[in-house]
Amino acid sequence: MKTLEILQTPELRAIYLDALLAGLPVTIMGGVLSVLAVVKRLGFAGQGISHSAFGGVGIAAMLLAVGLLPESEPWAAPAQFAVIVLFCLAASWGIGLLSHRRTLPVDTAIGVFLAGSMAGGAILVQVAREVANERGRVGLVQSWESILFGAIVGAGTADVALAWIVAAMVLGALWWHRRRLLFWAFDEESARAFGMPAVPVRLLAMSVLAVAIVTAMKLMGVILATALLALPGATALRVASRMTTVLLASTLAAVTGLIGGLVLSVETDWPAGPSIVVVLAATFALACAVPRRLT
Amino acid sequence: MTFAVDIRGVWHTFAGTHGTPTLEDVSLSVRAGERLGILGPNGGGKSTLLRLVLGLLPLQRGEITVCGVSPSKARRDGLIGYVPQRPEMEMAMPLTAREVLAQGVTWRLAPWRRVPATLAAQVERTIDLVGARDFADKPVGSLSGGQVQRVLIGRALVGQPRILVLDEPMVGVDAAGQRQFASLLAEIHRTTGVTMLTVTHDLRAIVAGSDQVACLARRLHSHGSPKGLTPAVLAELFSHDVAGLMGELAGMHVHAHGPGETCPDGPSHRREHGQEHGQGHGPGCSHAPREGGGA
Repeated sequence: MKTLEILQTPELRAIYLDALLAGLPVTIMGGVLSVLAVVKRLGFAGQGISHSAFGGVGIAAMLLAVGLLPESEPWAAPAQFAVIVLFCLAASWGIGLLSHRRTLPVDTAIGVFLAGSMAGGAILVQVAREVANERGRVGLVQSWESILFGAIVGAGTADVALAWIVAAMVLGALWWHRRRLLFWAFDEESARAFGMPAVPVRLLAMSVLAVAIVTAMKLMGVILATALLALPGATALRVASRMTTVLLASTLAAVTGLIGGLVLSVETDWPAGPSIVVVLAATFALACAVPRRLT
Repeated sequence: MTFAVDIRGVWHTFAGTHGTPTLEDVSLSVRAGERLGILGPNGGGKSTLLRLVLGLLPLQRGEITVCGVSPSKARRDGLIGYVPQRPEMEMAMPLTAREVLAQGVTWRLAPWRRVPATLAAQVERTIDLVGARDFADKPVGSLSGGQVQRVLIGRALVGQPRILVLDEPMVGVDAAGQRQFASLLAEIHRTTGVTMLTVTHDLRAIVAGSDQVACLARRLHSHGSPKGLTPAVLAELFSHDVAGLMGELAGMHVHAHGPGETCPDGPSHRREHGQEHGQGHGPGCSHAPREGGGA
């Protein structure tokens, strides 16, 4: 088996160990968030936020071209990532506020940000290239694909550190606000009527979602990021009916997807991201076949 | 004199309605411990009035006080318990009936605090009060309409509010369940003395469980005893099916006046009723903010 060969080769083992170490916090975070996303029907919001990142890339490219972002390492990549995160946060707040005030139906609000950001991002990247050429600057060295569609195999130490820090922040925020988030997610209108400030709770949920999605995208790609928001939670809700059990089952499904997907990728030479999604989907299909729920 | 709920000269107009008010000069008051049913057709402004009383809509014109304070303050201080319509909730959430019921108090706890024994005991007492003991550990999504209503009433009561607001409580409950539900509300009122405000278009719910009835179709058409529901008032209110409605009334052994007769507690009654009989700021409306950490 190729997996065993890799485990016996120190160089290859280090590469896959880094992939595992970077993927583990992201999948744990995704597993927990997925339950909230599924029951609160935020899956499409996740799509909207993830695609809004294209707009963030465009703005980062423009800032780089006019000299407002550093060109050289080690700060270039973190600065670009920070701009993308901030843009996605703004988009998530926009989606959250527009749908909360019922100014627009939620799917329309998501569509506006998704399409607008992608189109705006594409134009800004093009303009930024021209501006950078005129000014003799380096411009966006990385393709936006490499920023948005990261490959988990090949994750470096910085990626591993980023993943653990973000996961700790997201999981910490979810635990800290667990009671309010659960009440809000179950019955937002009543939560307001009970005196809960629902708008900050909604914005918190959207922010946590945005940060988690952008981090997952950077390491694993857009498809895997959105799959992580939907499949583990959907799987867990098929097999369990108590909140604690559902959260554990969802995390387990996500981690199984990561490890199983990496093994599948090695054995078949398929790309790692899609392989992980295939395992996540297969786990969901298996859960649908389970006749009874765990308590 | 302070009423549990005091509404004076309230107007409300939504944007996009070309200036047509949803509520027009509505004035009524509810004494502490009284059960007021607000009856009216769909689109008659019942839910708007309810949302104004809850402080969920900004007051445009007029004045509303709840236990002597503004609706927003009453809401924040936990003086109002709210029972919503069920379609607003995410019933797929993996929460038990007990967990949902406890949300009425636990969301106010600081994140680092465990649920104190006194609150846990209060939750258990409320489970017994609403008759939810047999299904307290079942997932809320698996409960019948009547069982869910018991849980939601428990959630509204567990914080020991001064006023219980029910929004269309009979929707989604079968005929047998409705009778049981009416008995339950009567028992809760007898036990707790809580002021009840019920908004519905269901005549049976109003007649069975109200001391006072306010008929609302943009304007207040009458405010008085359920006996004051005459064919003339109902025809003015609903504009259709008066014969059927009167049949229901007759079946419930409620005195009904003939067509064209005026009701002794009819349209002229309005605020004067409360002022004649009001006993002022009763013990059920003493105002003290709730405990709970500010998370």
